[in-house]
Amino acid sequence: MAVSVAAGEVSARELLSASMARIDATDARVNAFTDRTVTRAEREADAVDAQCARWRQHGNPADKPGPLAGVPYAVKNLFDIEGVVTLAGSKVNRSHAPATADAVLVTQMQRAGAVLVGGLNMDEYAYGFTTENSHYGPCHNPHDLACISGGSSGGSGTAVAAGQVPITLGSDTNGSIRVPASLCGVWGLKPTFGRLSRRGTYPFVYSIDHLGPMASSLDGLALAYDALQNPDPLDPGCHALRVQPVLGTMADVGSLRIGVLGGYFHDHATPAARDVVALAAQTLGAQTEVAWPDAGLARAAAFIITASEGGSLHLNDLRTRAADFEPLSVDRFIAGALQPVDWYLRAQRFRRGYRDKVNALFEHWDVLLCAATPCAAPVIGTEWLDINGTQQPSRAAMGLLTQPISFAGCPVVAAPMWPGSTNGMPIAVQVIAAPWREDLAFRAATMLDRAGVAGIKPVNL
Amino acid sequence: MTPSNDLPIADYVKSTAAVLGLPLDAAQTARVAVYLQRTAAMAAVIQAVELPLDEELVEIFCPAAFPVMYDGRNEL
Repeated sequence: MAVSVAAGEVSARELLSASMARIDATDARVNAFTDRTVTRAEREADAVDAQCARWRQHGNPADKPGPLAGVPYAVKNLFDIEGVVTLAGSKVNRSHAPATADAVLVTQMQRAGAVLVGGLNMDEYAYGFTTENSHYGPCHNPHDLACISGGSSGGSGTAVAAGQVPITLGSDTNGSIRVPASLCGVWGLKPTFGRLSRRGTYPFVYSIDHLGPMASSLDGLALAYDALQNPDPLDPGCHALRVQPVLGTMADVGSLRIGVLGGYFHDHATPAARDVVALAAQTLGAQTEVAWPDAGLARAAAFIITASEGGSLHLNDLRTRAADFEPLSVDRFIAGALQPVDWYLRAQRFRRGYRDKVNALFEHWDVLLCAATPCAAPVIGTEWLDINGTQQPSRAAMGLLTQPISFAGCPVVAAPMWPGSTNGMPIAVQVIAAPWREDLAFRAATMLDRAGVAGIKPVNL
Repeated sequence: MTPSNDLPIADYVKSTAAVLGLPLDAAQTARVAVYLQRTAAMAAVIQAVELPLDEELVEIFCPAAFPVMYDGRNEL
């Protein structure tokens, strides 16, 4: 798309018009967008077209089009957009002043030539895996409108799956990029914890929050990820010291040491989820089952830290405006605020030893595989899920397989796959690498992409 | 688990909510207690893990980035 814009084969304005028309035609049914930034998008598209025209005419290096020239994209509405109120999925934030500047990652996308078309629906304050938002309505899965899109970046997954935009940005604390990528059948990346700047986004859990892209193609995911990288010393949670692009490394699909996670990750996956993991493993030649250390403990610790930090962050509003909170999560926020401090401190101390065990595992493996969600998307409003004979609360269970991974900070590419037993609904495979080795996850994902076993499918909307 | 103010943890919810200035009615106290009871089960699992003394949280705080240039005393 960007190459065509740079070459003058299509204009950024034309791509924008097509995106806007698709949003107009489909959003009443899928409910992905909460804000549209039409004027800004037109301004950005015109600037890209003018830049590309100058480049073609004069070849001045200063006018060289960015890698995402003219590509429409949208962001979860916890990203600051200058002049727009950062809702973070809430009613409470409606009374906040509009953002005075863009989030750092929005600035990075603009520098790369991308065109921002709006803000996207999400679970309130990112505390959920389903995007059943009572204030703005639920997101509807483009592959089956009766089903959830996953969350909390549900609008981000929905917009890509519905063909509204080819790239979106989301956040992932416990699975909030990987779960909607899985349930909507799109590519998703949760980078290493500390890889991308979080400045200018509404926080959820300071010590676990990640940001990342979702896309309709693996190349698009890599382009966006490379464009987003820019070490930020002003974000205390940004630990990256240099940019490490992946795009030029993906073609090297040589031998990788690839294992399949068993135990906890097998036990909490339904047969359909196990099927896609088996297909990915077969495609990649992975035969060895690997035990991930302390997965159940890690999920418990992540759960405790999430509840405690989330409850503390919103304590003032919970005191005075609890009735304005999302009914599906307000009691969890309050329970988190009341947790004994010993629970939180022990969970954080546990995390350090856990990290060391996980990193030691990657001395023997380049990439590990497991499902991203226990099952395909359930119907909106589902309260309980049967996972291999065990009843699990639906809204929490969607993160069973993602939480232990993000708690260790490992990068994950969510590769969309299509089981034969889910009536056409997708489930993603998590392609997991050691911290700072996104390149290895992308290489394995490229093998799945090229083999034709992972990728998006069109929707009938 | 059905919301109930008979849960032992419901008393804890009432008292800590009062300390934090969180106004909860009986129904909400019961619902919050259900969630906190679930988390308590998870916390019990973590409590059972023996943590070495050196598994500490000092990484949360750093007074300033370590200097990488000459600081007037040493070549760093």
